[in-house]
Amino acid sequence: MQTPSFKGTHLFDRLCWAKENLEGVQSDYRVVYEDSVDECAKILVPDPNFCAAYLQGGILPPVEVYWALADDEAKPDFKRHTRGYLLHEMQPIEAGTMEQCIEYLIMKDLPRHVWQTWDSGNKPKMVICHKDQLPSTREWRNAWKIKDDLTTEKIAA
Amino acid sequence: MAGKIVADTLEHSTAGSLDTQYVVNGSAKAWNSFQGTGTIVFIKSFQCSSLVDANTGDYDVNLTSAMDSTSYSVLVSSGYNVVHNASETLGYANTTTQYSTLHYENNTRYDIPYLSGQINGDLA
Repeated sequence: MQTPSFKGTHLFDRLCWAKENLEGVQSDYRVVYEDSVDECAKILVPDPNFCAAYLQGGILPPVEVYWALADDEAKPDFKRHTRGYLLHEMQPIEAGTMEQCIEYLIMKDLPRHVWQTWDSGNKPKMVICHKDQLPSTREWRNAWKIKDDLTTEKIAA
Repeated sequence: MAGKIVADTLEHSTAGSLDTQYVVNGSAKAWNSFQGTGTIVFIKSFQCSSLVDANTGDYDVNLTSAMDSTSYSVLVSSGYNVVHNASETLGYANTTTQYSTLHYENNTRYDIPYLSGQINGDLA
């Protein structure tokens, strides 16, 4: 199905179109990350409708838009967004793969300090895995951590 | 987009009229239901980008389209299989694109098989 030309269309309307016209795609990928050394590991689970919109292309804004809004929100005098139009007026991104979708979600939904410095320090702060690599039960959930001796492989070009 | 109707007011033949602003402002801007035990996963959703399994009974939901401020309304509920009587499910906004859901039973955080959430307010 061809995505309509959505540049300038409100993001909410684009998501309504995606919900009506695209079948959700459940990803097997999970992102395990440690936000703070004092807390247990967190696990990011992609939304099926979001994945479908990413794979389709022409719907979601560039991820940099979310960074711009987050920067605004971090200002001490922030009350409400005044640059929300960026979500709606920037050229929507092209279709991508599920792996690129996970990269996008990492840069959108994980704290920036995690993904920007994921491989510095004594061990990785973030790992992409398949859901069947997670513990099979939630026993001691509040003690889950990324293994200290985990070896990682850079696969991105 | 095909089939677009532009109208400021909807008028019924006998029951009066309604400003479409009420429809726009009163509609949920995001909603979801998800499984909070095992490998957590969305069951159904709209306008969400991801779910975070943050800890026992502690879940974050990320939104695709930002809300205009952090003063939006978060309505959350837990479904069946509450083990203890003294149960409570809380929801609150973290940022304009993320809210949290916490589920307690007997003052201790508990995982629960089914949770749902709805966001009302103004989009950015």
